[in-house]
Amino acid sequence: MEENTMAILDTSGFNSSKISHHLNDDRLAFLEAVRCASLLSDDGSAPTSIMFEAVFQILRDEDSLDLIMGSYQLLVDLNKRFPPLYLSKTEKSESSSSSNVISQLFVVQEAWSPFTFGLDSYNEKAVANTHSGGSVDALSFHALIQEVVKVARERKSEAVEIKFLRNMLLLQYLIIILEGDFLPRNCAYQENKDWTVLRKSLLNMLLGSRKIIYKSLIEDCLCIMCDISNDQTELSSEMSHNTRHSGDLLQEIDTAVVLALPEVEKSTCTVLKKLVLMIMELDLSRSMADLQGFTTRADGVRTPAVDIILEELIYNSNILSSFLQVFDEPKWKLKIIVEYFHKYIPKSSIRTRRSIGQFKDETFDGVLKCLSNSNSTKSIVKKLSTDVAQLLLAHAFQAYLSLSLQHLPGGVSELKEDVKGSSLLEVCKNVISAFTSLRKEDEETEIFPFGKEALFTAATILSTKS
Amino acid sequence: MTDIYDPLDFEFEEPIRISPSVPKKKKKVIGLDDLLEDHEKEQKRIKERKSKRTKIKNTSDSEEDEDATEIELSKCVDKCQKEMDQINDDDEMPLWGIQVFGYQRTLPALEYPEPRSCVTLQSIMNHKLNSLVELKIEKGEPFLEGLLVDGWLLKLIFTLGRVEKSISTWIFNLMLYSSKERLRKAACEFWCSILSPEIEVNSADIKIDWLPSYSDLKRALDIYGFLLDSPSKLSSDIDMIHADSDTAGPPQNIRCWIKYVAVCCQVRNTHLIFSTSEAEDLLGVIISLFLDRQLLGLFMILQACVHSVISFFKDEEWHDSCERVAKSIGWRLPRDINCLRTVESISGSNGQSKHLRSAVAKQFLIRCLNEKECDAEDILRMLISINVKDKNCDLSKMYIYLGLAENWLLFDPTLKDNVAIHEMWGICLRNCSCGIAITDLRSYASKVRSKASYLLQGMANK
Repeated sequence: MEENTMAILDTSGFNSSKISHHLNDDRLAFLEAVRCASLLSDDGSAPTSIMFEAVFQILRDEDSLDLIMGSYQLLVDLNKRFPPLYLSKTEKSESSSSSNVISQLFVVQEAWSPFTFGLDSYNEKAVANTHSGGSVDALSFHALIQEVVKVARERKSEAVEIKFLRNMLLLQYLIIILEGDFLPRNCAYQENKDWTVLRKSLLNMLLGSRKIIYKSLIEDCLCIMCDISNDQTELSSEMSHNTRHSGDLLQEIDTAVVLALPEVEKSTCTVLKKLVLMIMELDLSRSMADLQGFTTRADGVRTPAVDIILEELIYNSNILSSFLQVFDEPKWKLKIIVEYFHKYIPKSSIRTRRSIGQFKDETFDGVLKCLSNSNSTKSIVKKLSTDVAQLLLAHAFQAYLSLSLQHLPGGVSELKEDVKGSSLLEVCKNVISAFTSLRKEDEETEIFPFGKEALFTAATILSTKS
Repeated sequence: MTDIYDPLDFEFEEPIRISPSVPKKKKKVIGLDDLLEDHEKEQKRIKERKSKRTKIKNTSDSEEDEDATEIELSKCVDKCQKEMDQINDDDEMPLWGIQVFGYQRTLPALEYPEPRSCVTLQSIMNHKLNSLVELKIEKGEPFLEGLLVDGWLLKLIFTLGRVEKSISTWIFNLMLYSSKERLRKAACEFWCSILSPEIEVNSADIKIDWLPSYSDLKRALDIYGFLLDSPSKLSSDIDMIHADSDTAGPPQNIRCWIKYVAVCCQVRNTHLIFSTSEAEDLLGVIISLFLDRQLLGLFMILQACVHSVISFFKDEEWHDSCERVAKSIGWRLPRDINCLRTVESISGSNGQSKHLRSAVAKQFLIRCLNEKECDAEDILRMLISINVKDKNCDLSKMYIYLGLAENWLLFDPTLKDNVAIHEMWGICLRNCSCGIAITDLRSYASKVRSKASYLLQGMANK
């Protein structure tokens, strides 16, 4: 039975190699045939690598919106249906202790992957040769990100290009693959503390590659996130004026791209946020493995992503506002802001900043206390400027609110640590007084709209809840 | 130009390129023309040379010979050209796509909530705070927008546990009618989060005073210029309209509309927003959106939306609803290449979706064959009776029938073990694969033949 289905798939695989010489609708028919054979039939099996390769090639090379959308959706669906690795919970019969459910990591051996990370130190040439097959390595992944950065930055209306859209979708697909590989591995690592599982993750191999400059990769990711979210308004309104002219096909495609761009940009942003978060989680697990002595020299050294981001935010202050706006994962956001503050709060200067997991009293509460004291406020404002302090404070409050709203099932969670200490009402009061003292230090500066909104929110919560 | 085909650096060294095939084909045709031209030039040159020579030699009989061969050659080239054109016709498929949105009416003006009447916003009036915030009432509207866009309003409402009517209508209208992307986006996020919170807030804790209904959504669609609503406007009329007005096509708000419908359907357990028949209608509407090429870029959110609407139905409701939706789609949408696009747009990601795919395909097939009601055997009998060898047989239709029948038979749960039906389907496929010769030059001949043999092979392997 299995062989028979493989035979059908093989013939369609054969089609696929021929198909590139045919017209677009043949490619569409090919996508549909793969979908039918693998996803729609009840006993469908995963497409062969040749077929996968062909679908991926369509996403990478085609200029027809139809094909781009079709191949992207197909690849995402295939990845969902046939994940290259997954966790399964199994009951462990022998252990009678409290946790008798262990999860096991299953890796599908022959699964196709768009990534190949060869050993870059060895025979570079041999690796380069295999690239003609069309898989993505660290270098081309970074190149793709840089290309998106370029268009996102110089965006004028000529950015209305299918290529931009396609690159973003390609990037999304690749990050989805990284995520599908990393999350189960990280889960397994949390349980059995086996660092090799994470060492073999695609994400770790990608970041560890010597072909790319890891720091600039992170910076480029930040760039895309900030640029895309910034210019969205002007761009889409400007473009909708340009396009509506006549009803021919080319125009229709243009309109279609204009309609789709904001959506694709938004999801690109979300996906990049996920990538950055994954990198941070990987850093956490890695530092844990470091402490337990499981890492070896082969793992190399890598600055934690949080540090790179902090540095970028401090020295490149014009992205600060848009980064805080985009990066809305409350736990890490609060962490980053609190660390930012602590670089400028005098007494904490003794602490080394390398220890991420260890800042126990570096909490939002601590920051608020500092800001209520006029002496420390003065020194913070001197180094940091009132504008930045306001922005950080308001965003920290927003992240705090999100965290306090989260319903935590187990009760015991590390999230709680950031939130606990004082009640919501107290924090609201402290935020208001912190703003007041900032204002006192520097009567000249206006409070930003974002700060005003934060104050309004705090006041409203106070007046309705008390 | 080259970098359009080269997304990634390392490819530059790649020796083998998959060149786009369209220009290649064209080249072939042009090549033939060139050949003819070259040939004629050559002939002319030879003729001139010859005539010069003949002038010298003063003999004229060879010139006549030359003329005769020239005519014969050009005839031959013409014939080749014709045959090439015929073969080329085969590849030219009409593109799918109809105009789903026509003239867009002016979007209604937006009303802002009055802070005085609204508990959530009352602290704007709080004087002590105002001295710090410096908020004057006339600046209230931009301030409110800021609260929404920056996400504070959402936090506030989650903390307070209640959404007042004036706020929820305001944000709903922003979502569907605002021309500013940042407002639309924030408004859409607001509604999606209060209906189905991503974070683990107990959503029953939030009291929503006003929920938009089905008619509010339909009104928006109407304003966007949706054309396929009334069955009286048959798709054939719509097909031909070419909009050249500035306001043709849906506004950007259509994205929010699609997402909002999806969320409403997901939260049936907490908020019952649509009745079953309303959800059926919306499902038909959303599937018809797949046929508008302008919405091609929204393929992913449209598919997600179809998935949500299908999941709205309870198992016991689904069977009847599915048939009704399929019938309405069969009536509403054109019966040409668009049928196939419609069927293929239904993803078939779960049992219900497969059922719908099959039912829609069957309804299209019945409509295409111009029958009112007929059972599976009737349909197949009719397909078998089509003589593909007949010169007048429209093979493009046969191609569509094959695609429809494939989808219908593959996913109809009631026909799964019906041997008789599968035998009839086999006969039909053999008719097509054996009845059409490989040398058949009619348009679609090779497409029908290869499709049929592909399907036959699939059957044989099962």
